[in-house]
Amino acid sequence: MRDMLSTRWILAVMMIVVCATVAFGQNPAIDYLGYGWETGGILPSEPGDVLVFTCTGVAADPVYGVDLGTDELTFYIYDQVSLGEVDIGGNNLMINYSGGYLEIWRDGAQNADWGTYPPNATSPGTFSDGVLFFKGEFTYLTIFVNPVGNGVYEGALNGLEGEILNDVCSDCAYTWGGSFLKGTGALIPDGYDLQIDGLFELDGAVSNEQSTWSDVKSLYSN
Amino acid sequence: MKRFTILMIAALAVTLPVAAQAQQIFDFLGQTLLPTGVGGSLTMYSVVNDPAPADTPLPLDFANFDYTLVIADLVLEVDASPQEYSGGTITIFEDAGTTADYALPGTFFDGTAILSGTFVYLDRTMFTATLGSAIGEVDWTGGTRVGDIAPQDQTGWPFFSGINALASQVVDGYDERWDGKVEPYEPIVPNETSSWGAVKTLY
Repeated sequence: MRDMLSTRWILAVMMIVVCATVAFGQNPAIDYLGYGWETGGILPSEPGDVLVFTCTGVAADPVYGVDLGTDELTFYIYDQVSLGEVDIGGNNLMINYSGGYLEIWRDGAQNADWGTYPPNATSPGTFSDGVLFFKGEFTYLTIFVNPVGNGVYEGALNGLEGEILNDVCSDCAYTWGGSFLKGTGALIPDGYDLQIDGLFELDGAVSNEQSTWSDVKSLYSN
Repeated sequence: MKRFTILMIAALAVTLPVAAQAQQIFDFLGQTLLPTGVGGSLTMYSVVNDPAPADTPLPLDFANFDYTLVIADLVLEVDASPQEYSGGTITIFEDAGTTADYALPGTFFDGTAILSGTFVYLDRTMFTATLGSAIGEVDWTGGTRVGDIAPQDQTGWPFFSGINALASQVVDGYDERWDGKVEPYEPIVPNETSSWGAVKTLY
């Protein structure tokens, strides 16, 4: 029994070390870059148009345990169905999407390649290979577009499966957000509509919490 | 002699690297201090990440150096939607010595200034209370690597950033998280391709 408790203490302390790396008080995040396209192009975004993104991670909080020097993190967002554009004033537009999934893949092959005119031989294929790191279902995704055609987006997801759920957090909320540029002022591969830059984050209830050594010991003092 | 010169130029064009379709970007993730009112200045400290498989406009050694991007002295001129800023500098530093730490702003502007420039303009728009964007234009004017960019390619680089002001996104003491990029309109290449006919017309 004593050995078992020691093992549990060690495991608990390991969890503290792993999970106490929320840098600078922010949520643990993965910074990504990528490109997207919508059926029929964007803008306009007509009801029923489907939005797709393929992205690569460029930096990750240590809590995710990924070395981007050896492993590639790729993002594939699909089945986002446009509900159409709404003018919110000031010539700014809002577009809500329904449905949609985000998959993050960990892949030592480092073979991500956007190519041109997606879907193509490499996109989304090279962004959805390897080990499934995370899969989530969007609860919402909203895009805001300024009069020039650039803007920002924000969404939230429920986790469904993947390594993160087993190894980092099983009952967290997840957010997906960032900014995008259309063709003007961005080097966008031919056939893509948008360049995007943003963060994927663990948000809200984090199951593995930071605690003091005394707190950990008190869990096993009875 | 003229024919020899043309042949030499043609041979050079074949030998040197050929410009490729490429996505080039300085990608940054940082924290921003906003002015308290018109006449005040905006400051941003950020880390530049390796955008692979996209490229940086200039080759950078991410294995051995940290890169930071600092914006300073952007003055708020018009406090409307969008906010309009003028002036301001932007500098990219290369540093092998200290890790950037938002609690110690000096760690963002130590090392070698490899590129420095000025803003032509910067506008900041908030779509909601916590979600917005900043768009501007940069002219590179100095730094140890500015000579790696042809003079005609040093100006008019688009600057764009997403803005998030949620408390969970912002480091204590700062106002907003900026996640954005600055990039050239066309890929920066060491030399340019030209048709045989175009080479001949030079002479």
